[in-house]
Amino acid sequence: MRISRRSLSGLLLLAPALVALGTLTLYPTVWVFWLSLHRRVPTFDVNRFEGLGNYMFLASDPRFWKAAQVTALFTILSVALEVVGGVLAALALRGQQWGARIALSFLLMAWALPSVVTAKLFEWLYHPTVGLVNFLLGGVSLNWLGDPRLALPGLILADAWRTMPFVALLCYARLIAIPTEIYEAAQLDGAGGLATLTRITLPLLRRILLIAVLFRTLDAIRSFDLMFVLTGGGPAGTTETLTVYAYRSLFQAMQLGLGSAVGVVVFALVMLVAWGYLRALRSEGVVA
Amino acid sequence: MDLRWSGARARRKAALLVSLLIVLSGCTTPPEHAGGVTLVLKHAKILGPVDPIPRLLSEFEAEHPGVRVKAEALPWTSDEQRQFLVINLEGGRPGFDVMMLDCIWVPEFARAGWLLDLSPFLSGGELVGHFPSAVEAGTWDGRIWAMPWFMNVGLLYYRVDLLARHGFRPPATRAEMLEQIRVIRAAERNSRLEGYLWQGKQYEGLVVNVLEGLWAAGTSLLDERGHIFPDASRSAGVLRSLRMLVESGASPPWVTAADEESTRRPFGNGEAIFLRSWPYAADLFERDGSPVKGKVGLAPLPREDPARAAPGSTGGAHLAVTRPTRHPVEAVALARFLAGPRAQRAMTASGATKPTIMSLYHDSELIRASPSLPRIHDLTLAGRSRPVTPYYVMISTTIQPELSAALVGVKTPSRSIADSRSRLDFFLRDLRE
Repeated sequence: MRISRRSLSGLLLLAPALVALGTLTLYPTVWVFWLSLHRRVPTFDVNRFEGLGNYMFLASDPRFWKAAQVTALFTILSVALEVVGGVLAALALRGQQWGARIALSFLLMAWALPSVVTAKLFEWLYHPTVGLVNFLLGGVSLNWLGDPRLALPGLILADAWRTMPFVALLCYARLIAIPTEIYEAAQLDGAGGLATLTRITLPLLRRILLIAVLFRTLDAIRSFDLMFVLTGGGPAGTTETLTVYAYRSLFQAMQLGLGSAVGVVVFALVMLVAWGYLRALRSEGVVA
Repeated sequence: MDLRWSGARARRKAALLVSLLIVLSGCTTPPEHAGGVTLVLKHAKILGPVDPIPRLLSEFEAEHPGVRVKAEALPWTSDEQRQFLVINLEGGRPGFDVMMLDCIWVPEFARAGWLLDLSPFLSGGELVGHFPSAVEAGTWDGRIWAMPWFMNVGLLYYRVDLLARHGFRPPATRAEMLEQIRVIRAAERNSRLEGYLWQGKQYEGLVVNVLEGLWAAGTSLLDERGHIFPDASRSAGVLRSLRMLVESGASPPWVTAADEESTRRPFGNGEAIFLRSWPYAADLFERDGSPVKGKVGLAPLPREDPARAAPGSTGGAHLAVTRPTRHPVEAVALARFLAGPRAQRAMTASGATKPTIMSLYHDSELIRASPSLPRIHDLTLAGRSRPVTPYYVMISTTIQPELSAALVGVKTPSRSIADSRSRLDFFLRDLRE
């Protein structure tokens, strides 16, 4: 095959980007997969090929399954809350004559805060004696972050607070792009508020919601900072997600092979979810 | 071949060259400054009113002509510092020469071959004036791998005024403390007043609190032959009594999510009678405007058995030199200088840290600014270091969720001890020589 001069120089110009992408994503991914097939503990000069040994251990490891369960619960519930909250916020914003700009900047603020700052903020909000949350609930003394039944719901709420604005903004942008003629026509046809919402607004939001849910799901599966700062994965591992477990295995227990195996599992999950959504999006005709 | 460098093609080639240059320029190392040595010191930001490090470094540079020291900050939290160090040291070319280490990392990093053996550089009695437990923490396999830099010890803070008002002396035993909490809270009728605060979040601090409980009960986490929880039933008893503190209301339920700062604040606001913490809190309680100024006393941790001491866990930081450093002599000199009496004195005077050199606790000038120093000296001397072994962090992270589970009642204490053991068996399999 002869490569024309033109496409050769095109390739050459692309080369820096390809090299950068290759070294920054492909190389580490392959390396982590390779590591996951080893028993590697650098501090003890242990470096041995073990095949699927780490994966077999994970299959029977209660801490891993617990982390997988926590990750699944966290992802499903926080994304669901964010979508419902985001759509409601967007609808409320659209109805605003005044104050939409201020509300938007407030929403953006929550979204723009670094998650470690959000975590610290919620540490105060959830404080059992002086926290605002318990005060608003009528002075109860719920032990939000220290009770194994409340810690995960607490984190889910914090995550929903932080990322709901993302969904809200995307939906709001779509909403204001819907031509008013459609609503006028619906009104003429005698559609009520509920029918307009379920027959017009929500179907028109569908595509943008799919994209929002894709981004949010991928983020939620990999979530790390909120739990790491607020609970350290506790109490009793009830908030330990797969990424926190991977981190603990990698940098604290120094089990590089095992930690990488957890990393590969997270990677596989993310790819699987992304593939599923992309299929859905394709059938919607959103992406090629 | 077309040699015309003009028009669109020339621009394309130029763009290509530029991007190549950009890629390649990232691969060179910065030059040493002319004719001298530049050392890079990695340390966590020293908290306190004034950072004493810059002045100390210029003193060092004045004494060592031709050596420049670049101080670089480590990340904020201990976990992130560890991650940073592990990644860079494991990579083989760390880019720094001297680093601050949490004392529990020293044997592990030494075992990994990341640290320079300091023993040949040190004169015979150089570390004699330091706390023995601090020297022990920097020693592994008979060699010295890190210089003790500053010190911590677990101790009991109590409210002098509240105890005096009800005719109590600082509690010697756990039982006495619980009784005092009961009496004082009943009489004070202040629903905001908590009893005993300690650290029960799922992190290293919880392990420290459990270790102190184990020592008070006369057992340990690791025996000489490397067995985990050698006395399982007594260890389960320790977890049970920690759980009882919460269940009985002597400690608020939120200690199961509490760390140092979230327990220090309420005690500092006058909302608790007892607090287990580290010496750093003492100066904060005595600051102007503090609600508990002049009302806080320091005592040893309460005993389980009146006949057996309950040592507080020691902690702190060491200074180590990376093995691949290109300037071992200068790097060791810097570590020795910063760990030496003059530098430790300046650090203590700045109010940030407590020294590892014992005589500084009796320095009259330092005591004027920090009156609790002699007391902290005695408590530190009676303290005990966490197991000095390369496996320590691995053991600690593995048992943290188990201990937390027993604390919040998700698992029975004996179950959590058994699960800790079986999990560690997998990790430690074929690691031990």
